Amino acid sequence: MAQGEVLLEVKDLKVHFPTGDGLVKAVDGLSFKVHRGETFGIVGESGSGKSVTCLTALGLTNLERAEVSGEVLFHGNNLITLNKEQMRSVRGKELAMIFQDPFACLHPLYKVGDQIAEAILCHDSCSKKEAQGRVIELLGEVGIPKPKERYAGYPHEYSGGMRQRAMIAMALVHNPHLLIADEPTTALDVTVQAQILELIDRIKNEFNIGVILITHDLGVVADVAQTVMVMYAGRAVEMGSRDELFSRPLHPYAWGLLDSIPHIDQRRQKLVPIEGAPPSLINVPKGCAFHPRCPHQFEPCNKERPALEDRGGGHLDACHLSIEDKRRMWEDREARAAKAGV
Amino acid sequence: MSQVATPPEPVVSSEKTTGDPLVAVENLTKHFPITNGIVLQRQVAAVQAVEDVTFSIYPGETLGLVGESGCGKSTTARLVTRLLEPTSGSVWFDGRDITTLSRREMRPLRREMQMIFQDPYASLNPRQTVGQIIGTPFRIHKTEGETRKKVQALMERVGLNPEHYNRYPHEFSGGQRQRIGVGRALALRPKLIVCDEPVSALDVSIQAQILNLLQDLQSEFKLTYLFISHDLGVVRHISDRIAVMYLGHIVEVAQATELYDHPKHPYTSALLSAVPKGHSSGSLTERVVLQGDVPSPIDPPSGCPFHPRCPKAREVAGGEGVPDDCRSEMPPLGDVLENHVAACWYPVESGEAIEKAAHA
Repeated sequence: MAQGEVLLEVKDLKVHFPTGDGLVKAVDGLSFKVHRGETFGIVGESGSGKSVTCLTALGLTNLERAEVSGEVLFHGNNLITLNKEQMRSVRGKELAMIFQDPFACLHPLYKVGDQIAEAILCHDSCSKKEAQGRVIELLGEVGIPKPKERYAGYPHEYSGGMRQRAMIAMALVHNPHLLIADEPTTALDVTVQAQILELIDRIKNEFNIGVILITHDLGVVADVAQTVMVMYAGRAVEMGSRDELFSRPLHPYAWGLLDSIPHIDQRRQKLVPIEGAPPSLINVPKGCAFHPRCPHQFEPCNKERPALEDRGGGHLDACHLSIEDKRRMWEDREARAAKAGV
Repeated sequence: MSQVATPPEPVVSSEKTTGDPLVAVENLTKHFPITNGIVLQRQVAAVQAVEDVTFSIYPGETLGLVGESGCGKSTTARLVTRLLEPTSGSVWFDGRDITTLSRREMRPLRREMQMIFQDPYASLNPRQTVGQIIGTPFRIHKTEGETRKKVQALMERVGLNPEHYNRYPHEFSGGQRQRIGVGRALALRPKLIVCDEPVSALDVSIQAQILNLLQDLQSEFKLTYLFISHDLGVVRHISDRIAVMYLGHIVEVAQATELYDHPKHPYTSALLSAVPKGHSSGSLTERVVLQGDVPSPIDPPSGCPFHPRCPKAREVAGGEGVPDDCRSEMPPLGDVLENHVAACWYPVESGEAIEKAAHA
């Protein structure tokens, strides 16, 4: 995969929320890069810090309530240090986003077309007429049938899939360089999910932009992402190319996730769940945050926090096990699965 | 109610499906009226939520019910447990037609059929302790013996710490709350448990724990499940047989492996191909991507409800339009293979790949 220029670089990002019960370390030292022409998948369970990372990048965390440190570099600007006015000139223009619930994101009393036109008029000084023309063009682009008539439709007249298409149209109004999609298909049915994922993929290629796709669904990531980062308790535990990560995952947490998902093309006798529950972010376990649930934990796991290290070929993980041990364990597991499989 | 009726003949038979069915649903229909007017409420239309549905569930099996949102899965579940009154049709439970029973006659049967719901928080009373929640079925049905002991034994069985007897639902995590729901459903040792999306709200690692628990309990207590989910992977994992619903109709019923390996209805085929596969070989381009959305159940299409979106119908008609029989008549649920029924005029052949639908 030829990599384009680096669009977004996150360096040692920390987002902590002081609360009455203690400090919630939602994101705790996260670094990654997103390139042009790449879909960067972030997976993790609820509360792993996926969404907070992106909200912070978009300047949508309340800085009066949160302690943010680190850098989010976008076109050389550190987004965290921008003031509200400066942020507003970037957000929605070069940096666009789509959220999970397309109904909650559209105002129920305004026409969908007008809402998208408003997004155009925010940053461009063009006439309302011109904006309307552009909206109709965009609605057609994202696959809404009869865009001219649909311009005047209200959100409740749109189906879930169409609302999400409208949100994507709104995100595209200023030809963004980077699109952040936070669980864009979670609220949709599988057949509609397939349509939306295909649309996002097509737009990425057509406009040559970068996409950050946040999801809890490993299947979605495996289908559309080129690079994948797995998050656990506010940190990245594994990062690498999609092929590497799904054919030879390194981190025991990634193994656990793969083992606990029922597959549609093969029926296994028994799922192997990860024991226990994700930790509270106020009281993250010492050492490796995953160690209390890890079947392979040993001496240093509960004392020292493993660093995220390159294990060869741009495949990173944060774990105390040696790479040889990991490879051996994964091969054993594959052999066992092949034996048990039908 | 003096009519003498007999349960319907089983629709499908196989190893696990011999003997009398525990539940037999016959021509079940549910329409929700839409009314207009303030004083004189005239019915102007009806949401045809469930339309002429027939299926059986055999003792000890898990019947999976899949479909997209709004296809009538949950309404069917509520009809089977008679939480809703059907518009027409009958539900036979253990040899009795429960749709004709009075409330009083229904009560002893209620302990035989229980439900587990999707949202484990909304389905638990926040002002009751776990002990009260799981103990309520014992009090209602006035069972013998000490409730507290029985509740604690149940808590232990479903993987909760019995010492947490006096805690409230908000003190538990999502997975633990679902365990409370399972414990409550299990309290009176029912024959049938209707699971309505029991793992949809949970994270994957927790989802696997609950699925394993349900499977263990099934073999331990000889339970029968009606398992509703929109997640095709989950349904395949847990079900013996699977019924696929589309717009109020059951369009296909088969053994789990059979259904996934040889889907006969074009909708099943498209549904299966839409699921992200979770490995690199299944790329986006190989999928059948259905165009458009599910039509409204207020004004469903004529004939086969799937015909406006059906790639196979378009293929049969030579690219444009759909064949007349698809448009004019609903195909009956008929045998396409042994133990495999589908409602389609032109079932998918084994090995046939449905053409990717052209952009509408």
